[in-house]
Amino acid sequence: MNGSSNLTLALPSKGRLREAAEAMFARAGFEIVKTGSARGYQGEIKGLNGIDVAFLSASEIAKALKDGTVDLGVTGEDLLRETIAPDNPVADVVLRLGFGPADVIVAVPESWLDVAAVADLDQVAGEFYATHGHRLRVATKYLELTRRFFAEHGMTGYRIVESLGATEGAPAAGSAEIIVDITTTGSTLKANRLKVLEDGLILRSEAVLAARRQAMAKPVVANLRQRLELAI
Amino acid sequence: MPGKSSDQRRALDALNAAMVPVLEAAGAEFIDPDIIQPADVFLERSGEHIRSRTYLFTSPDGEELCLRPDLTVPACRYHLESATDPAQPARYCYAGKAFRHTPGEAGRTPVREFDQVGLEIFGAGNTAHDDAEVLALTLAALKAAGVSGYRIEIGDLGLFDALLHSIDMPERWRNRLKRQFWRPRAFRDLLRQLSAGKRKARTAISGLLDEMEDSGLEPVAFVEQHLEALDLQMIAGRTVEQVAGRLAEKLLDRSQPPLTAEQTGLIDDYLAIRCAPEDATARLRGIAGRTGGVFAGAVDLFEARLQAMREAGLDLAAMEFAAVFGRSLEYYTGFVFQIERDGPDGASQNIAGGGRYDTMLADIGAGQHVPAVGLAIQASRLIGDGGSGGEA
Repeated sequence: MNGSSNLTLALPSKGRLREAAEAMFARAGFEIVKTGSARGYQGEIKGLNGIDVAFLSASEIAKALKDGTVDLGVTGEDLLRETIAPDNPVADVVLRLGFGPADVIVAVPESWLDVAAVADLDQVAGEFYATHGHRLRVATKYLELTRRFFAEHGMTGYRIVESLGATEGAPAAGSAEIIVDITTTGSTLKANRLKVLEDGLILRSEAVLAARRQAMAKPVVANLRQRLELAI
Repeated sequence: MPGKSSDQRRALDALNAAMVPVLEAAGAEFIDPDIIQPADVFLERSGEHIRSRTYLFTSPDGEELCLRPDLTVPACRYHLESATDPAQPARYCYAGKAFRHTPGEAGRTPVREFDQVGLEIFGAGNTAHDDAEVLALTLAALKAAGVSGYRIEIGDLGLFDALLHSIDMPERWRNRLKRQFWRPRAFRDLLRQLSAGKRKARTAISGLLDEMEDSGLEPVAFVEQHLEALDLQMIAGRTVEQVAGRLAEKLLDRSQPPLTAEQTGLIDDYLAIRCAPEDATARLRGIAGRTGGVFAGAVDLFEARLQAMREAGLDLAAMEFAAVFGRSLEYYTGFVFQIERDGPDGASQNIAGGGRYDTMLADIGAGQHVPAVGLAIQASRLIGDGGSGGEA
């Protein structure tokens, strides 16, 4: 993102994640200041040379890490793992930041009294195909996390319906039968009469500092990591 | 390289010119199915592991489309739309591109398209004969293309199916074992669980089962009562009867006697078979002697197929039979085969494969049972283009 040898750190440009990240950097003694144009999509960290800041949306940060347009980023682990698989060496977690907790889970209608675990779901998917002639539909925005998780659990007879909002309403609305989504307190699931499968925890996510492989060994990253760790 | 060189292009043309006539001579109509296909039929058939590798897009009028990830389904669709009676025997062959996203090593362009030559035989015929003929045609086409020095592996998914049906157990256990067959470790775990005679570990619904057992109510009545008490509606395409039915099965499992050592021994002995086909016959006969029933019939078909292969002039000694072969190929239902050779990097490379898929045409709308068996040859690999991607 720049011609210098500085590393670029992407920070969330809005929302709770942005506030929590800025608060944490402040506790670590880092003041983030905006530079450049008045629109303020760039900045720097006072007291830490060698790092430029770019403000991006949390989901863009994971993509930018993958593409290499930024070297470091603060984003949700759910978004990071959706974009960059754990076995992809391009980027990895440097530090878990202890805020923004969210569990990515598989949830089914509460009225499916006979379904407790993914193994049940696999059987229901078979029954569903036989009854309806099409696959059990899973509403989610986490296409990759869902595929990976179900593949590991041998669940095959489903189909993903991409959902970009209000995922938990899909089963009642009839656009999907089950969901993969994030939950923090479980109250939204409860309100929608959905229950989490007992082995349906896909990822216990929180905000993370992630870095591209090449940036990991840089002294400035070690410095950043150390000071942030003390501020957790 | 962004495309084929002049030499590669000529090599592919020559390859097709050598192989296609072999398939046409077997009575196959040389067709050119559409490259752009409706996405739905692939997504419903193949599931998410194929979807994640398929090029999907939306047409200007909003229809969900894809670049064909294989030519088997397009050939099936061609048949269903052009044949007056899809159950009548028909044969098709083709040569063309299939499209699957295969990530390259870091920094390399992914492989996205590869060339295939294939044949499909539809409609009731002589199963053993048609199976053998498909393998014989594959080898004849490879010979015409000047390819030699390969290994042939064969399998038969019908044997496993028949074995389960010859062992006395609840149908729901068979279905569970069949579903896990593709995953060797989970299959072992399940088999151990069904034979242990122990109660399964308690789950989130064990308490509900206790309640149901104690209530003395019929399952449907119990479920209705329970849903009403919780003010829950049955949603998402399932019925009270289905939920009650599965709960009743779970209760039954508590008192169901486990599989015996003799029964699991049959499954273990079968899955351990990996040898020359003619030696396999003796071992299969040995197992059939212990089970009788439909497994004996499936072994008869296996032997009839080997006999048809001999009559077609194939060298059985050059083949290996593996009971577990085909585990990873979900849509096949019977005979399966795969032809491999050492690739340019020394690793084993799949150059052709195929098998029987008797449920596909009914599944995609034939309205009746239409047997099918086919082959696909990875032409890209034969000309040294596109090292990865392209399973049959």
